[in-house]
Amino acid sequence: MSAPLLSVRDLVIEFTTEQGVVRAVDGISFDVFPNETVGLVGESGCGKTVTGLSILGLVPRPPGRIAGGRIEFEGRDLVGLDESELRAIRGRDIAMIFQEPMTALNPVFTVGSQMTDVLRRYKGLSRRQARAAAIELLARVGIPAPDRRVDEYPHQLSGGMRQRVVIAMALSCDPKLIVADEPTTALDVTTQAQVLEQLVRLQEEFRMAMILVTHDLGVIAEACDRAMVMYCGRIVEQAPIEELFARPRHPYSAGLLASIPARVDDERRELPVIPGMVPDLLHLPPGCRFADRCGRRLARCDVEQPGLAPAGESRVACFNPVETPR
Amino acid sequence: MEMLQYSLRKLLAGIPLILGVTLVSFLLMVYFGPDQTYTLLGKNPTPEQIAEVRAQLGYDQPFVTRYAGYLRELATLDFGSSHSTGEPVSALLGRTAPVSLALVAPGFVLGNVLAILLALLAAHHRSRWPDKAIMGLAVVGMSISFLIVIVAFQIVFSSASGLNMFPVRGWGASSLREYLHFVTVPTLAIVFVSLGYNTRFYRSVIVEEMTRDHVRTARAFGTPPARLMLRNVLANCLIPIVTRIVFSIPLIAISGSLIVESYFGIPGIGKATYDAIMVGDQPVLKAVVGLTAVLFVLAQLFVDILYRAVDPRVSLQ
Amino acid sequence: MNAPAASAVDANGAPAASRRETLWHKALWKLRRDRAGMAGLAVVMLYFLAAIGVWLGWWATGWAEVAGGKWEAPSAAHWFGTNLIGQDIFARSVYSISTAFEVGLVVAVLATLLGGVLGALAGFFAGRFTDELVVWLMGVLDSIPFYLLVAAIAFAMAGNPYAMHVAMISTFWITTARLVRGEVIKLRQLEFVEAAHAIGVPEYTIVFRHILPNTLHILLVQSTITFVAAIKSEVILSFLGLGVKDGMSWGLMIAESTIEVLAGFFGNFLAASLLMFGLVMAFNFLSDALQDALDPRQVS
Repeated sequence: MSAPLLSVRDLVIEFTTEQGVVRAVDGISFDVFPNETVGLVGESGCGKTVTGLSILGLVPRPPGRIAGGRIEFEGRDLVGLDESELRAIRGRDIAMIFQEPMTALNPVFTVGSQMTDVLRRYKGLSRRQARAAAIELLARVGIPAPDRRVDEYPHQLSGGMRQRVVIAMALSCDPKLIVADEPTTALDVTTQAQVLEQLVRLQEEFRMAMILVTHDLGVIAEACDRAMVMYCGRIVEQAPIEELFARPRHPYSAGLLASIPARVDDERRELPVIPGMVPDLLHLPPGCRFADRCGRRLARCDVEQPGLAPAGESRVACFNPVETPR
Repeated sequence: MEMLQYSLRKLLAGIPLILGVTLVSFLLMVYFGPDQTYTLLGKNPTPEQIAEVRAQLGYDQPFVTRYAGYLRELATLDFGSSHSTGEPVSALLGRTAPVSLALVAPGFVLGNVLAILLALLAAHHRSRWPDKAIMGLAVVGMSISFLIVIVAFQIVFSSASGLNMFPVRGWGASSLREYLHFVTVPTLAIVFVSLGYNTRFYRSVIVEEMTRDHVRTARAFGTPPARLMLRNVLANCLIPIVTRIVFSIPLIAISGSLIVESYFGIPGIGKATYDAIMVGDQPVLKAVVGLTAVLFVLAQLFVDILYRAVDPRVSLQ
Repeated sequence: MNAPAASAVDANGAPAASRRETLWHKALWKLRRDRAGMAGLAVVMLYFLAAIGVWLGWWATGWAEVAGGKWEAPSAAHWFGTNLIGQDIFARSVYSISTAFEVGLVVAVLATLLGGVLGALAGFFAGRFTDELVVWLMGVLDSIPFYLLVAAIAFAMAGNPYAMHVAMISTFWITTARLVRGEVIKLRQLEFVEAAHAIGVPEYTIVFRHILPNTLHILLVQSTITFVAAIKSEVILSFLGLGVKDGMSWGLMIAESTIEVLAGFFGNFLAASLLMFGLVMAFNFLSDALQDALDPRQVS
């Protein structure tokens, strides 16, 4: 494989709260290569959204700050760039799609006005050219009658439509990387499938890399080449998608997979639940953060934090990984 | 057409408010107010003279008739003549209102524009030192009484102890030079006293808007800060901003000008009201109270129509 | 039948009560760490002590006596000098503290009570006649210019010295009532209220026993804001001749000073404005701190 497009090393993101400083992301490292789709999966609060935001320098500050590590995009470290340098990258090299399509667009301007704003800024198009380009992009993301929709306000569109508009905006400057934060979660089930399918198709068409942040393993299975499982601010497992689903090695990944309803067979089976609760980020255990909820806990797990280590085709942070026979 | 219907409906809805305001002011000022009979009579009046004046003032009429008479005066804008000067009230209002407008307008506009700019600056640097400095000064400004500001500004600008550049009292607007000569110190006082309150209000509105998702989206697409503040933040804050500005107009027109005008001896509507309060000049007071209520209803209508202009989501159903 | 009903209310009321307790607990903790707020509280307490001293006749008793010559400069005997007729300006400004507290306390307490009660009733009966009446009254009183209302009430009360208090109370309750009404409309939909409803607790009991206590944080913050507004209005009204007539007030001192300052005598003006500024500013800081501590939703 070629050089990575994005390379995150030992990233630490901290938030100052009234009770003290919390590490939302604690020393994670990963690579994203051109044209691939990487899933970032975990429960809410595990740090996956903040990781996505940090790539565009959008961690709200204060209370948050990047406390350490590097985020290299095409060999250039984005951590420590000032606002104007980051602005030049946002939307052009790296674009982002957000979870809440209902509120993600500016309610007092038309869809066209918001799209042409981006197009004119980065591509230097005239007003008329930008409008034509916006209509074409709307058509490409599957919005019917785009020449009419372009003059409508966000509140006149459905949730699915709005998300397509945001996707069209994200594509408008041919970015090399798209960070999609729960792009389908807020949509209703039928729309979810359509929008996801469209996103996967467009990612290939536009030859972009994509980081798909989600809590939904179904979405990961559908769209990704590789996935990273996050728990409590750390990556606990990294694996190619088939490998993760066939042979999850971290007990947490295994638990997550076991808790999705199987498609056809034995529908009535009671779904296993991971026991216990996610530890409070203010009072983390000294050892493995999953230890309290883990069925495979060793004495060592309580005193020492496991790092990511190669295991077959995967990398896993566990002293006692699950062994699934081939 | 739709607009006209809407406006008419809104005006109708304002009727209970106008009735309420006029009723309350009528009850307090006229019905339970001071008896004017003897102020209008000479010494040692005869019972016939007393009865004549009472009839002239309408004191012998039943409550409802007198209240209806007040409403009729309001509808026809004919409030009779001032008890103290004999000048027709409509003429008095026509003479004083433009003066008050010319006096208060520059301070009002500057006080709001400056406050919005300061609020944008503070919100942009939220929780960092420019924000803390601006908000700290706002509290200090809010803690200084209007009176203190006026006296202090007079000392600084108009007295021998200070710059001695502007007049202590009076008014004139026959030329721009003369106008500026008289309006500067009152304007500075009005701006100073409103700046703290306005900046705090606008900052809280702006900061709340800045936490919205669409602002984050715009940032994620590389929108420069000035454009972000204008298109995403300010454009979305217009409803509360417009509401505050429009609704403070009737208040500043009477209450604000009352203090400034009575202090600087400026012959505006506030001074006229103050004088009327001091001598119990009922025709003038009735006119001012009634017209303020009408002004409030109109402000409400105006605000509702403006909402639609500034926010496409609002429709006039 | 009554006994189980009562215990059901308790069972449903308990979570609400504990929610309230943690809110106050947290608020106190936050308030203690707010340096500006605590400084404000300390200064307000100092002023309050000064006012108590005046009430008990410990100091500033000679505020109306002629104690020196005309317009004496500040000295050890007269810290801010004397006024036109030789009265001690410092004693007069300290005496005015008690006037400010009298007006501030009476107006803040009564306006907050009135606003709380009317706001809670309006909110609980939202959409019904009681609510419409209260909302209409708020609109009406809001539309009458404040100084005119004061004048009108002063007329109607035939020069009664409390006309100013009545006028302030009748306008200052409105903001509190609006806030309480909004909060009560929200609270009304909560489970413990619905439960009380379902088991037949009388409506007025629900409002005053179960809903109003949950708006206490609003009432507390509003009462400090109203206190400041009352002090500031008192000074302006007294200055205009519509307020304090028989006692002493910073407004009267500033009225006295308007001619003096042009002649270069600043004693009255400085004493009144500095003392007033200190109190209002301290109250503003306290009020801000209370608001920060008690309103978790507020973005700052």
